[in-house]
This record gives sequence, C-alpha cells and structure tokens, in this order.
Amino acid sequence: MELFWTIWNHPIVSEYVVRRLPTIVIVLFVILTVAAYLVYAERKVSAFIQARLGPMRVGPYGLLQPLADALKLLSKEDIIPARAERSIFVIAPMISVVASLVVLAVIPFGPGRATITDVNIGVLFILAVSSVGVLGIILGGWASNSKYPLLGALRSSAQMVSYEVAIALALVGPLMFAKTLSMVGLIEAQMTDGVWYVLYQPVAFLIFLVGGLAETNRAPFDLPEAESEIVAGYHTEYSGFRWALYFVAEYTNIVISAAIAATVFLGGWHFPGLTRLAEPGTGLYALLAVLIFAVKVFAIVYCFIWFRWTFPRYRYDQLMSLGWKWLIPAALANILVTGAVLVLAQHLGLVETVRTEAGERLVSLWPWGKLFLIAASLLIGVPIVWILLAVINRRSADFNLRVQRQIRLPERGEEEIFAEV
Amino acid sequence: MELKGAQVLFYYALAFFVLIMAVSLIRARSAVHAALYLMGTLIGTAGLFLLLHAEFVAGAQILIYVGGVVVLFIFVIMLVNVREEITETTRLFTRQEAVAWVLVGAMTVATIIALRREANLLPPAVAPPEGTALALSEDTQRVGSALYTRAALPFEIASLLLLVAIVGSVILARTRRQEETFD
Repeated sequence: MELFWTIWNHPIVSEYVVRRLPTIVIVLFVILTVAAYLVYAERKVSAFIQARLGPMRVGPYGLLQPLADALKLLSKEDIIPARAERSIFVIAPMISVVASLVVLAVIPFGPGRATITDVNIGVLFILAVSSVGVLGIILGGWASNSKYPLLGALRSSAQMVSYEVAIALALVGPLMFAKTLSMVGLIEAQMTDGVWYVLYQPVAFLIFLVGGLAETNRAPFDLPEAESEIVAGYHTEYSGFRWALYFVAEYTNIVISAAIAATVFLGGWHFPGLTRLAEPGTGLYALLAVLIFAVKVFAIVYCFIWFRWTFPRYRYDQLMSLGWKWLIPAALANILVTGAVLVLAQHLGLVETVRTEAGERLVSLWPWGKLFLIAASLLIGVPIVWILLAVINRRSADFNLRVQRQIRLPERGEEEIFAEV
Repeated sequence: MELKGAQVLFYYALAFFVLIMAVSLIRARSAVHAALYLMGTLIGTAGLFLLLHAEFVAGAQILIYVGGVVVLFIFVIMLVNVREEITETTRLFTRQEAVAWVLVGAMTVATIIALRREANLLPPAVAPPEGTALALSEDTQRVGSALYTRAALPFEIASLLLLVAIVGSVILARTRRQEETFD
C-alpha cells in the first residue's frame, strides 16, 4: 500500500497520469457514447431524408436504441472461423480500436485541462497513429482466411493508404500559417490572427473533407463494403464483440476526422466574442469553449452523414483516380500557391513573423493583410488549382463532362483490345 | 546522454521490447507474424527516438515505416500467398549455429571493451536544457530548416531516386496492350 502511494506521488506519475486521469476518463466515456449515438443519429438522419421515422421502439424516439444494440452485441456468440489465423484474428480489431482511441490524447477539446495533452508534433502524431489503423483492417481481412474479407481488406487498405497522402498534404497549407504542428498551437495561432484558416485555405479544407470521408470509409467512398461483390468487406467473418470493436473504431475515426477539421480549419474551441462572454481561465469559459468545439465537430459530422445519403457512390477506379489525379495534385498545387502568396505578402509588408514565447507566429498586422490572404486564396489559389486539375485530367472520361459527351462506342478492331484488357 | 530517473526505466523497457521483437521477427515461421513483429520493432524504435527528444523523427518513423512500409509488406505477403510454406517443416537456420554464437560472443565482448576503454571517443552528448522535457522542444523546426539548407542536396537526390523507382515500376507493370488501349 505504501509503495502504491510512493508511485502515485512520484512527479512523473502525478504529472502524466494522476493529473490527466479525470480528463482521460471523461473523454473516453463521452467519445464512446458519442460513437454509439452516431449510429443512432445516422439512422435517424437517413430516415428523415427518406421520409421515414427511423428507430422508434426502444425508449422515447428510440433514444435507448444504442444501449440495446450494445447489449445485444456483448451477449452475442463469439465466433472465430475454424480455419482462421486465431491470434491475428483476435489482435486485428484491437489494433484498429487502439489506433483510433490513442489519437484522442492530442485532440484539443477545450482550453486548459479539457485537453488531455499537447505535444509539439500533434498533427504528425495524429497522422502517424491513425495510419496504423490500416493494419488492423488488412490483418483482420487476411486472418479470416476467406476470400471476401481478403479482397475487401486489400481494397479498403489501398483506399486508405492513397487518401492518407492527400490528407497529409492538405494539412501542410494551414501549418504554413500557424508555423507549428501542435494542435493547441494551431488554435492559438487562429486566435491571434482572428481569422479561421478555412478562409485562407478553402482548397485545403475541401481536400481534407473529401479525404476524410474516404479515409473513414464512408459513402460515397464506402467501397470496403459492397454487398453485391464482397459482402461486408474485411469484417465479414467478425461477429459480436470483435465486430463491435471495428465499429467503435470506425465511428471514433469519424469524430476524430471532424475534430481535426474543426481544429485546423475552423478555429477549434475559439469563437469571436467568447472572451467577452466569460473571463478566460474560469469554469464557464472552459465549458463554453468545449460546447463551441462540440457544435463545430457535430456540424461536420452531420455533413458526413448528409453526404452519405446524397451522393451516389464511386466505382473503384473512379475512387482511385479521384485520389491520385485530383486530390493529391490539388493539395501539392495548394502548397506551392500558399508558399508563393506568403512570400509575396511578406515582401509587401502585409504579414510579419512575430516571436512569442510559444514559438513563431505569423501575424497580419492590419486588416489589409488578412484581406490580401483571403483574396489571394480565392482569386489566385482556386483558379490555379482548377486549371492544373483540368490539364492533368483532360483525357479522363469519368469526371470530364466534355470528354464524356464525345465518347463513342469502340469500333471492330478496338473491341478485341478492350475484351482482352 | 545521461539518463535520469524514469528515463532509465523507459529506456530499458523499450530496448528489451525492441530486442525481443527483433529476435521474434527472425524466428517467426509465418511471414505475416514476422511483419507484425517488425511493426513492434519499429514502434519501439520510435519510442527510443522520443526518449532522445527527436519527436519529429519518431512521428515520421511511425507514419512512414509502420503506416506505409509494413502495410506494403503485408500487401505483398497476401498477394504472393506464402501460407503454404508455414506448414512445411523446413529448418529456419542453417547448421552453422556454433559459428554464429562464437561470432556474436566475440562482438559483444569487443563492444563492451571498446565502450569501457574508448568512452571518450564517442561524441559528447548534448543534454537538452532543463524544462524542455515537459515543454515543447523545437526539434521539428530544426529538422525542417536542415532539410532546406545543409541537407537539401542529399534530400533531393534521395527523392529523385525514389521518383525514378516509381516511374520504373509503373513502366514494368504496364503491358504493351494496355499502353495501346489507353493512349
């Protein structure tokens, strides 16, 4: 017992474990509940879009449905296929869940203690840890020892690996303004500048949203699941609790994607006039900040659900060409244009790099600087990206309407070639 | 760098973890198991980088090696289906184990002697200033500016090499018929 208290009072343990423990417990509880209720929200939103009622039986308006689902999943029989690779079959969903829950450690939910921790490689940490989640999917598909999961796993991991690149490149744009990788630092940079980076970086925001949809395997990019071709994809052979783990990982990833978008592009928990409502450092301020962050995150999550029931899904080759021929060139062009605009603005004296105690900050000293950056992103950035994409994809038949109109049926000689390919 | 307090604990835990994973990696009979052990080794190494206050390198290590290279390894393993080799009772090692043990022992002794005698030959360790352990260090900025100044040429050469490799593999993978059809 005494040994326990010595360890408990050790400076490192008290700094990294004891002080953060309440936040960690609350964040885990809230996020897991939110993940469960996202399923409910998705069913409700889809029902309203299709003029139905959705779940109504369990509790008022079906509000207890997630609880019933969880109980059912926990009490289901745990099936491991006879010819499956047992150890990997068990480990794979755990890798997925751990990879998505660890990311929560650096998400800034609010000021001060509402954030679990702030690391100086925040954005890189998130990208790195969530890239490990792909392994859970691919191993789960392989370990099932069945052809549909294997094909589904190959498909979804190819999709996630490709869109990871676009997401990482899209995040470079805002980082050039913030000059830091830390998530808290990104919010502080937007607070000092007074402008959310979505205005400076509209192209990057769009790329991140599309990439986020594809990265979380959501419609219109839900290729990993295709009932008519590969059944349920990588988790076909999973049932009960292990299947629930994959589901928790999937819905946590949606929340995380939305949280990153809200932090990097929409100013995190910052909102103009927040300091007038409450004194910074007080409990009310923290509560309001957390609420603002939650509203922003849920607005984006709602868009994700909305997109699912609005857009038709892509064919697999269209998905790949969208990732490699549209999003990645657009993100690269965005980085180049942003760099050029920033250098130009610095030469014109519109923005200046100021050294604060938290690191270097880019500050536009007067409104003209902000106006210049916003105008440049819209009037220079968007057209250049547009022209570049048009040039790269001028021969693509899938998204280019002009080419599509000119498509003719292959003549005799060509037909044979098509048949053999 | 001299380790203090909890750092020692973390260092030995990570070092033994990496060693165990590395040994398991070469002893694994199934290729997928080996890939998983490789993942463990790489994550442990990333932890060692963190102990050295090289946060950016640690993050890049996980992003590129675990999220990229290991995933590609598993892709290849799945596509060439090496499963049948697992059931075969092939020997994992050749019969030169005795020689290997002697060599390993000699190298261990040599390393210990070298470290004891020539400790001052090692470059002097630069301890990070007090306080940076908990606060934010500027490792990322330093890596970034090094890549654009001193290390620019090697960095560009490496990326050119990778580009050539990518173009080459695309050319090798495409057949003549595909070229004719899609041109």
